[in-house]
Amino acid sequence: METHPAALPFLLLFRNSGPETHQHLSPEQRQQLMVRWNAWYDRLAAAGKAVEGQPLELERRVVSGPRGERVTDGPFAETKEAIGGYVKLMVSGIEEATEIAQQHPGLPYGLSIEIREMAFSCHLGVTAGHGAPAERATSP
Amino acid sequence: MAADNVSPPPPDTPAAPASQPTQLVEHFFRHETGRLHGALVRLLGVHNLSLAEDIAQEAMLRALRTWSMGGVPPNPSAWITRVAMNLAKDMLRHQRMSGTKQPALITHFEQILPQSPAASINEWEIRDDALRLMFVCCHPAIAPDAQVVLALKVMGGFSTGEIARAFLTSEAAIEKQLTRTKQRIKEAGIGFDLPEGEDLAVRVDGVLAALYLLFNEGYKASAGDRLLREELCAEAIRLASLLVEHPVGRTPRGNALLALMLFTAARFPSRVDEQGDLLRLDDQDRSKWNRTMIDRGLVHLFQAAQGTEVSEYHLQAGIAACHCLARDHASTDWARILRHYDELYRLKPSPIVALNRAVAVAYLQGPEAGLRAVDEIPQRDRLDSHYLLHAVVGELRWRAKDHRGAAESFRRALQLAKVGPEQLYITRMLERAVVQGNDVG
Repeated sequence: METHPAALPFLLLFRNSGPETHQHLSPEQRQQLMVRWNAWYDRLAAAGKAVEGQPLELERRVVSGPRGERVTDGPFAETKEAIGGYVKLMVSGIEEATEIAQQHPGLPYGLSIEIREMAFSCHLGVTAGHGAPAERATSP
Repeated sequence: MAADNVSPPPPDTPAAPASQPTQLVEHFFRHETGRLHGALVRLLGVHNLSLAEDIAQEAMLRALRTWSMGGVPPNPSAWITRVAMNLAKDMLRHQRMSGTKQPALITHFEQILPQSPAASINEWEIRDDALRLMFVCCHPAIAPDAQVVLALKVMGGFSTGEIARAFLTSEAAIEKQLTRTKQRIKEAGIGFDLPEGEDLAVRVDGVLAALYLLFNEGYKASAGDRLLREELCAEAIRLASLLVEHPVGRTPRGNALLALMLFTAARFPSRVDEQGDLLRLDDQDRSKWNRTMIDRGLVHLFQAAQGTEVSEYHLQAGIAACHCLARDHASTDWARILRHYDELYRLKPSPIVALNRAVAVAYLQGPEAGLRAVDEIPQRDRLDSHYLLHAVVGELRWRAKDHRGAAESFRRALQLAKVGPEQLYITRMLERAVVQGNDVG
């Protein structure tokens, strides 16, 4: 890693990302939060450090069991623990990713962020680095 | 607000690319709430006001969550409207009851839902809905103070917490009042209509009275959150603008009221000094006055003059215009102000108007004449418990070099002034009078 001159892909995984955490904010507080969020994201995007970000729908289903016979629909007891969305970063390493996460304006509102480096390549042989691997990964 | 509501994006437009961040317009969530309420109440009916509020709230929360991870879409207003309309449709489907209304409503929804950009809710409908909602909030069946609170909540998108802070009361009290008001709306069977015919003028007057009350609530120099109170004034101006820009609400007195609000709000930046203490008109830095607001005020004052009517709003706006247009305090047109006060007193003979008139007399003919005018106020005893009477008399006595008398009046005013900024101001005046009174002997 120390020898890598290029940026590495990291995912910030957001937990407890709403909507209940925003419920008691006034319209103006919501506005301020969005403005700070935009500023955080825009700065990263302008520096080429944030590649993409997406929220995930709240409805979910879990498949498990040896033959995938256990199919559970939400709601689950710990909705706070569910991943609510992600942002993909291209940064120098875990320290920079951590620093970026620490500046996230959602933290005071209960947001928690898990930082995971994306493995350099997956079993399909798709490079997780540059380019848009997400699109390729879905093709057969 | 957003002027580009007309063409929302196709349903699944992704978030704005990172290279072109969309900025939220000022007060987006607040004003969007009001807009959504208008659209939802039109579809659900006034009796479902609470349901409309819940749906709008849910749409806002979804927007926050989604945009916090992908950025704000190019047309946030259209995005939220779509979400809210879909939520409303789902909700009605889920509670599909035996009644005949709901299926009809769903059909209505399906016709009105933006399937294509062209079929979306247009700007005219939005304006109509806003005005209808204003007529609901300011309906004569609702008490005036309840009208103001309801308008702030439903049209202004203020939270109950913000309203409670602005009115120095508890959130529970505001919530209780809102519940009662909505009950009242149901009982009275208030519809979501634009009044017509003879009813129209009366109803427009009712709206103007409520907006005037709202503005004054914000203008009062009470303790508490000053910025928030100024937002009440801004909201009153926004609603009055909505009213006079609509063909149905465009009246001379509406324009006059809007002009009055603009002239008054233009002077907010100079109203207090760095310590937050109140400043008198002659001590204010006029370069801080908001020229844009004054210019807008003049436009509306001009529009207010198109007709034969002279209302109390006209006269008050005329007085405010005299202040705003004076280069400095010394060159204020007090003769014109006095004429306006004379006229206003004929229209609305209140001791407060007479007291203000006395101040104009003092500037025109000297402090002694002003004091005589105060003495001649009919029903002056009604003002005895009002700090303002004693503050004015104190000021006039001070200018007449009666420093002891001035100190006496300021002491009395201080006993009666309830709120911080006013107390501070009078204390300063009192100290000045006492010092000078001692110097002179």
